[in-house]
Amino acid sequence: MTAPLMTSGVLSPSYDLFFALLIGIGFGFFLERAGFGSARKLVAQFYLTDLSVFKVMFTALVTAMVGVIFLNRIGFLDIGELPLIGTYMAPMVVGGLILGSGFAIGGY
Amino acid sequence: MSSESGIGSATGSRPAAYMNPYLAGMGIGLVLLAAFVIAGRGVGASGAFASVVSFFVNLVAPGHAADNPFYEKYLSRASNPFKDWLFVEVIGVMIGGFVSGYLAKRVARTIEKGPRISDKGRLALAFAGGALVAFGAQFARGCTSGQSITGGALMNLGSWAFTMAVFAGAYGTAYFVRREWR
Repeated sequence: MTAPLMTSGVLSPSYDLFFALLIGIGFGFFLERAGFGSARKLVAQFYLTDLSVFKVMFTALVTAMVGVIFLNRIGFLDIGELPLIGTYMAPMVVGGLILGSGFAIGGY
Repeated sequence: MSSESGIGSATGSRPAAYMNPYLAGMGIGLVLLAAFVIAGRGVGASGAFASVVSFFVNLVAPGHAADNPFYEKYLSRASNPFKDWLFVEVIGVMIGGFVSGYLAKRVARTIEKGPRISDKGRLALAFAGGALVAFGAQFARGCTSGQSITGGALMNLGSWAFTMAVFAGAYGTAYFVRREWR
């Protein structure tokens, strides 16, 4: 399969950090567009006055998910090369609870 | 707080409206997909901070850093943070966020808080909350970017459990800090 382009050799690894910067710029741009530069807008999710965090996050998940499945089906993207994280249930749930609590206190 | 409409171009000196959340979500999803296709990696944030911390620990106490598997992991990936993928990506996030805020005339010096808390109180809570977020993220091997968005899109079981726990923790805490925000 042709993608990921970095691991399949289509793109030279020397461009690695250039694309890191580019991807970061895109990510930051849309996060701010959505209003996530504002701590009050972020925490409004937890007072149920503005559900943007939910809407943005799950739309992003579904979009990327559908793209990954489609690109894999047409034989373009090798899913085996993507970052699958092992399941460590207890630390992930405890870490999530701590992070979530800090999210509401600090406003990220 | 915001009206959800359009792309959000600023007119006059008033800040532009935020982008429709579903549209912004699709934008983030496509950026993540591009990251998968180009680099075979997802987006992240907490890893960048861990890499900076490891760099400074190694500077001050190289022996301790070499003996510690946590610092060692980040040090073996890149000789300094500026060569670390996630660190460079987070620099990009800051640039992209600033450009978006600048174009929408939202750039301002301000402390975001509700009317019932002092600046000092809000900043102290921001520090405490930030420490909890950093600790929780290391505990869980990732934050809302690396776990919830990247791992969630790939249907990692642990990432979904993490995401549910984040929302549970935040909803459970929100009541107790309501004076900070509302």
